[in-house]
Amino acid sequence: MQTTPVLTVRDLRKSFTLHTIDGRKVTSLHGVDLDVAAGEHVALAGPSGAGKSSFLRCVHRSYLPDSGSVVLHTDDGPVELTDLPDREMARLRGRELGYVSQFLSAPPRTAPLEVVASAARRRGMSRTEARDAAAESLKRLALDEALWDVDCSVLSGGERQRVNIAAGTVHPPRLLLLDEPVSALDPVNRERALELIASLSASGVAVLAVFHDLDAMHRLATRVVRFADGDIAEIGPPADVLGAHAA
Amino acid sequence: MTDTLTTHAPGAAPCRLTHTLDAIDAATPGRGILDEGSKREIRRASLTAVCVPGYLTPFGSREMPVARGWGSGGLQVTLGLVTADDVVKVIDQGDDDGVNATNLRRLIEDSEKCASTKDTREATIIQSRHRIPEEPMGEDQILVLQVPNSEPLRAVQKSVTECARMHAEADYSMMWVSLYEDLVRNGVITKTTGYPVLVNGRYVMITSPIPRWDVPQLHDSPFLTLLGAGREKRIFAVPPYTDVRPLTFDDVPFEVEGSKDQQCERCGSTDTFLVEAAPGRMMCSDVEWCTRVTDADVDLDRHANNAPLQYLPDPQRRVRVAAAADHRDPKELVDRPVPAHAEGWTLAVRGVGKVHGPGGADAVPGTGPEAGTAISPRTGAVVAAWDVSFDVAPGEALGIIGESGSGKSTVLRCLIGDEKATAGSMFLTTLDEGRTDVFTLDDTERRALRIDTLGLVHQNPADGLTMTVSAGGNIAERLTAAGWRNYYEIRDRAAYLLEKVEVPLDRMDDPVHTFSGGMRQRVQIAKALATDPRVLLLDEPTTGLDASVAAGVLDLLRNLLAERDTAAVVVSHDFAVIEALTDRTLVMNVGRAVETGLTDQLFQDPHHPYTQRLVAAARR
Repeated sequence: MQTTPVLTVRDLRKSFTLHTIDGRKVTSLHGVDLDVAAGEHVALAGPSGAGKSSFLRCVHRSYLPDSGSVVLHTDDGPVELTDLPDREMARLRGRELGYVSQFLSAPPRTAPLEVVASAARRRGMSRTEARDAAAESLKRLALDEALWDVDCSVLSGGERQRVNIAAGTVHPPRLLLLDEPVSALDPVNRERALELIASLSASGVAVLAVFHDLDAMHRLATRVVRFADGDIAEIGPPADVLGAHAA
Repeated sequence: MTDTLTTHAPGAAPCRLTHTLDAIDAATPGRGILDEGSKREIRRASLTAVCVPGYLTPFGSREMPVARGWGSGGLQVTLGLVTADDVVKVIDQGDDDGVNATNLRRLIEDSEKCASTKDTREATIIQSRHRIPEEPMGEDQILVLQVPNSEPLRAVQKSVTECARMHAEADYSMMWVSLYEDLVRNGVITKTTGYPVLVNGRYVMITSPIPRWDVPQLHDSPFLTLLGAGREKRIFAVPPYTDVRPLTFDDVPFEVEGSKDQQCERCGSTDTFLVEAAPGRMMCSDVEWCTRVTDADVDLDRHANNAPLQYLPDPQRRVRVAAAADHRDPKELVDRPVPAHAEGWTLAVRGVGKVHGPGGADAVPGTGPEAGTAISPRTGAVVAAWDVSFDVAPGEALGIIGESGSGKSTVLRCLIGDEKATAGSMFLTTLDEGRTDVFTLDDTERRALRIDTLGLVHQNPADGLTMTVSAGGNIAERLTAAGWRNYYEIRDRAAYLLEKVEVPLDRMDDPVHTFSGGMRQRVQIAKALATDPRVLLLDEPTTGLDASVAAGVLDLLRNLLAERDTAAVVVSHDFAVIEALTDRTLVMNVGRAVETGLTDQLFQDPHHPYTQRLVAAARR
């Protein structure tokens, strides 16, 4: 078990005030603590609405947390993400974080190779290195080479999702955030993607993931965190948490 | 008239001066068709014109016995200067015996009781239209030219005030564009009379009405030239031994009319300005000279030395000059890294506000998102924007989003200088390392920033382009303003930029009014990028274009921003545009910045009620 810390989350709270619906307040995280070390794969489990995705997004800062602390341990030392100025957050995101959601959010009218290569460039690769890395990454996920330079919007859901995974994992980031990355994939491609994720963990990438299927969690996770009502209900090895939960 | 003098010397002295002037008036009773006061006004304007070579000096003109446009300007100058001891010569179309010349000469003789001549050598004042005499003139002679159109900028700028500003700031890029357009359309300069010259390194002057052939004569000439425009009531001058340079691109040589092998049919001269007397028959335009050549009453060597033969069209010279000129790589401008402030920004905006109407800052209370109005309850002024702050780093694009009327464009106009901000400050690292507030600069300095540092893309291409000028010419405008004086270099840079924005190069020389909306917008973007500005301001760059064209422009901008180190501000009411181009966004509502954040965070987790409404509305 590696112990180099990558992510330290303390008392993370997030709520939403819905001004369009008479100012209603919805709380989604009630003070979450969590540590993720390098090479560790932490799976977030729990029913819909328990706060798994909110947690991932608060780490990624696509949600702005109300309070608490999210510290990313970079080569330059620990960085507090919750109040990092936007500009630095945007740069740090590109460099250190990979985020794969259920759907590809690429700029309109861009090609797979371009999407993946620009992700690699943001992580510090040169233009040519990035292209090579992107090609390799797409090859590894078995995306037909004929599709590399077509518009992403003409791809099937599964093809698009592989582009998404390739962009998130190319020139591997320090911390990989996965939000149901394989749910759109067919069994063969799902297998390829899971293997890729496993190999990244083995090479030291810290992974924080939400999977809906228990099988993936069993195979990949070093720890499982079960969320319930915006808080952590249980943490432990997959067999313990998932077994107990399944029963 | 004397009042203007008293203002210079308050106290007792001016009274004495006034008395002196009155005494002069009394001692020199009105003679001829101009009274002494009118003559004095003309002399005063002429003196000013001599003091500021090339500057159009206005003067108060009285009614003239000839129609304006028939030499009334030149006539007034001559009448103002001439004394009974002078010998006057009048030429029209190179001829002393034309109807106009004869009548003007008689008028001057009768009015001023002076002598007249047809021999240039005997004349002290030569009033002319169309020509400088072939006979070389000396220090004791004055040339008075009748000018039909005095304002060199008139052809490119209709507004008189704007022309005055352009002269004041030596902003002559449009003159260069007109030369560029002439070269593009015709391959050579075709502008014959009225060729623009730079006088004494300062003012661009029109040499109307002399041909290009005579233009080199004005440079470093021993004689004084006074130009009078009667219709426009302007007098301007080229004092003796003044630097007069025709506007010429470094790599396109200045040329005069004519060719090496032409000859006067009458006198056989090969070094004079010839005109076509009948189809295919060329003769000297200067009748006096032609006659004296025939009579062998001329100094031919002296004349030949004075003739602009080295400027005759010569293809080999064109090639030589083009080859000798420096030529930059169109892709790489001078190495200009984008400097960043210690805090990381290139552009910083602090507390910018704009109030239309009375009250200034006092009008602000009671306006804004909480009040739900931009109209000041106290003064009725419109608070278009208030207390807006942000900064942008090299390679970063900041979005400003908000519905129409939220103040987005106002902020942008304050930054670019189209509007004067009521409050706040603006800093650029290219200016004094970010220590000087741009808002404290004067208009001239602000303009210089627009040429060098700030690029602006308007929503409407017509606001950023001169529609009658070609795509290349529009880019040339920006480049010549920045000091580019090399025609082929400008062509290459324009072609490079147009290729970058995907405008087909075979359209480069077409006027932009023949372009589609999307193409115009691309040309506008190319123009904004011409001098590689460190800060690019985009005001609704895709609004008003149809969906597929807008998509093309958006992709173009995305690629341009990604590959360059520019700091960009993108103003739009369209979330898709902001999302595609920017990392960070500022949300404006009723003139205030209500929320800032990472663009995706604002979209997924908007906090301010207004942003939530905006986002909800964007999800269609």
